[in-house]
Amino acid sequence: MPAHSTLSNPLREGLTSRALPEPCTVVIFGATGDLTHRKLIPALYNIAADGDLPPGTSVIGFARRDKSSDGFQAELEASNRDQSRQPHNDAVWSEFSRHVEYHRSEFGDPEGYLRLAARLPEIEARRGGRANRLFYLACSPDQFEPILCQIAAARLCDTGGAGWARVIVEKPFGRDLASAQQLNAVLAGTFPERETYRIDHYLGKETAQNLMVLRFGNSIFEPLWNNRFIDHVQITCAETLGMEGGRGAYYDSAGALRDMIQNHLLQLLALVAMEPPVDLSADGVRDAKINVFRSLRPMEGVEGVARSVVRAQYVAGSIDGKGVVGYREEDRVSPESMTEPYVALRIHLDNWRWEGVPFYVRMGKRLPKKTTEISVHFRKAPSVLFNRMNLEMRENVLVMRIQPDEGISLRVISKIPGGNLRMEPVKMDFHYRTSFGKASPEAYERLLLDAMAGDATLFARRDEVETAWRFIDTIERAWHESSTPPSMASYPAGSWGPAEADAMLAGDGRIWRRL
Amino acid sequence: MRAATDILGLEVPIASIEAELRKLWEADEASTKASLINFAIYSEADDALARNTALLAEITRDHSCRAILIGAGLDRAESHARAWITAHCHLSGGRKSVCSEQLAFQLDGKAIGRIRNIVFAHLESDLPLVLWWQGELSRIFEPHLVNLIDRLIVDAAEWRDVPAQFRLLGEVLKQAPPGLVVHDLEWTRSFQMRLALASLFDDPAATAWLPGITGVRIAHRPGHRIAALHVLAWLSTQLGWQADPVLGRLDLHSPNQTIRVELSETAPGDGALESLELMATADVRFLVARDPACTYYRTESGEVIPPHRGLAPSDPHTLGGLISAQLERAGTNSLLRRILPVSLRLAGVG
Repeated sequence: MPAHSTLSNPLREGLTSRALPEPCTVVIFGATGDLTHRKLIPALYNIAADGDLPPGTSVIGFARRDKSSDGFQAELEASNRDQSRQPHNDAVWSEFSRHVEYHRSEFGDPEGYLRLAARLPEIEARRGGRANRLFYLACSPDQFEPILCQIAAARLCDTGGAGWARVIVEKPFGRDLASAQQLNAVLAGTFPERETYRIDHYLGKETAQNLMVLRFGNSIFEPLWNNRFIDHVQITCAETLGMEGGRGAYYDSAGALRDMIQNHLLQLLALVAMEPPVDLSADGVRDAKINVFRSLRPMEGVEGVARSVVRAQYVAGSIDGKGVVGYREEDRVSPESMTEPYVALRIHLDNWRWEGVPFYVRMGKRLPKKTTEISVHFRKAPSVLFNRMNLEMRENVLVMRIQPDEGISLRVISKIPGGNLRMEPVKMDFHYRTSFGKASPEAYERLLLDAMAGDATLFARRDEVETAWRFIDTIERAWHESSTPPSMASYPAGSWGPAEADAMLAGDGRIWRRL
Repeated sequence: MRAATDILGLEVPIASIEAELRKLWEADEASTKASLINFAIYSEADDALARNTALLAEITRDHSCRAILIGAGLDRAESHARAWITAHCHLSGGRKSVCSEQLAFQLDGKAIGRIRNIVFAHLESDLPLVLWWQGELSRIFEPHLVNLIDRLIVDAAEWRDVPAQFRLLGEVLKQAPPGLVVHDLEWTRSFQMRLALASLFDDPAATAWLPGITGVRIAHRPGHRIAALHVLAWLSTQLGWQADPVLGRLDLHSPNQTIRVELSETAPGDGALESLELMATADVRFLVARDPACTYYRTESGEVIPPHRGLAPSDPHTLGGLISAQLERAGTNSLLRRILPVSLRLAGVG
């Protein structure tokens, strides 16, 4: 038997261009929850079906309910049949599920973690002793700290140099700066920052990744990507859903600003606004993003927030032709709620590139359609020659659609055929689905593989999270701690948001893009 | 879209192909035209146009393209050039009908000499040109033609005289632009098998066995010996083994030992290769084998610590699936360029 070697595998050369995931044990806390069934297990299954799951990788579901590994596997199989991106294949599932086990324990029970500590080496011995452990916190955020403390107490992250221990944390990363710092301190006490993966599934989406390719892989955009040529940027996340399925309980304590803006939409903003990273390493990209977060212009006091932020709740209206109740009438939402299911912000970045260019960011529930997109609005051409005539929508707009119908479009002005000189905007459109017939991997597939491979590029770093919270906290304080808070606007469900949000842009001589 | 009874679509005068295509789209507002590449297929077989039209219906599901089919009747006495247009449409996401255009040309006799002019005047501008040359490379395959191509796909499994065909290919490629990427489908046919084998050595404990490999067994389907030789050449190149074939023997040599090579032909069946096995000792072996019970390869590393048994995606067994897989991977195929000289030596091409 030859001695273990650290030699790389010469047969991989030229076959794989990405960092290779390493065999590990994935321990999922909250294994009976929705996220595990709908996203994590189907993602791991699809990775296996694509042949990318390293041999010897095991999954342990950690949860409170009493059940056997067989019962757990059967439940996962049933949900995988519904949720998997690729058709469920019995042979692949059978092979994959051989390595799936269930571990019953209360999250705060030290005994359960000690039993896990005894169990992990057995699994690791079966794959040759490599103690690679990936802990996934897929439970409610109030359990993060107790779990991390118990992981530390049971020394689960101590692999004795025989492997690595990493943790993936789902959002929300705290509910304000103080709680985020507290969570980060607990995380740092258990895992080093380089082994901490704060997952933002938006960053795993194909179009979010393509943002960097579009900007830095093409020569035509970057010269125009600044305040000389760009008038403003809009980032919109619209959802038709309200508080179905009992999500009002969580949502009413969070709101759109905490739930979506602090993480997903500010991450998208950072990808649009950042300087070219020095390289594509995790820290290269994240250093470029943190510089954007650092240049977020703070809102000054309640007046500053009132000028640049609109919060709103929907009232009764209709979605897809069906009547729906207002936010305060929703299940598990307080009738006196002051939580915002809609928010629109005008954000300025105080840096050289973006001086004077507002970023309008909006997120809303119960809007007419589900879409997330970024639109870059270029400055209008000089009002001479063709632009003497008053032409609506005459600026060029580059749109990057994040979901659904992922793609890119560019609006240009064109002459209408005929003897008269009349012009209209036309759209050049690229659809991922049309051009590339094959469905992209789900964001969780990419992100899980990255975490197994030790590539943190698409995960948020501690300083990003905390700097984003610092910006958000100013707004939350103005809303909830001031004696004269900015008012809560309203909009009918099924409309494009409150008139106040339109007025905010109208005051700048702009309008929201029609979606 | 205008009805067409022939599988090739609507016959149109070559001079008005673009105008007829425009009419085709104007008549169907519900469909979206899409293309990422110009995909030309050249064949000298009699039934090629109809056969390739059926293949394109499969390929265009995943690869929007402007497809250009060329049927060449080299030995026909009469000189003819005919053209047809049609489209392959697929529902995208259950909503949009996304279509790829197909232009088919039958060039007979002397008309084949105008191939560059007739065919390549109809490329979608700015998009790369992929040419799939089916069958033997003939006198039409010459540098002026190859100079237009970004990617060339050939299939050594279709060649009767493999050494002669590789020699001709080599000669033409010497004059080809440096950016031209060449794919041999016999190499493509083993991609997933190679990947599966490589994955067995990701564990350092397994990697450490590589210098101790003493034997290679490859079982290939009838007509796919070249696929097996390509794999052997790949192992030889990546592991630093020397290929010095003597009459009838393919054994390879590492600095320490001779690696016994067994190539065997199986009964006809799916794919090009049935199994690939590397032996270190009597107990330690690494195996990737087609499993008749499922569409995946079985992978095994026997008696290695940790022992492994699993599944890996298998290589496509239909021609359409194979071409789709190749188009999807794109890349520069530098690995094939590197292993090809060894492969040719093993195949007896001096």
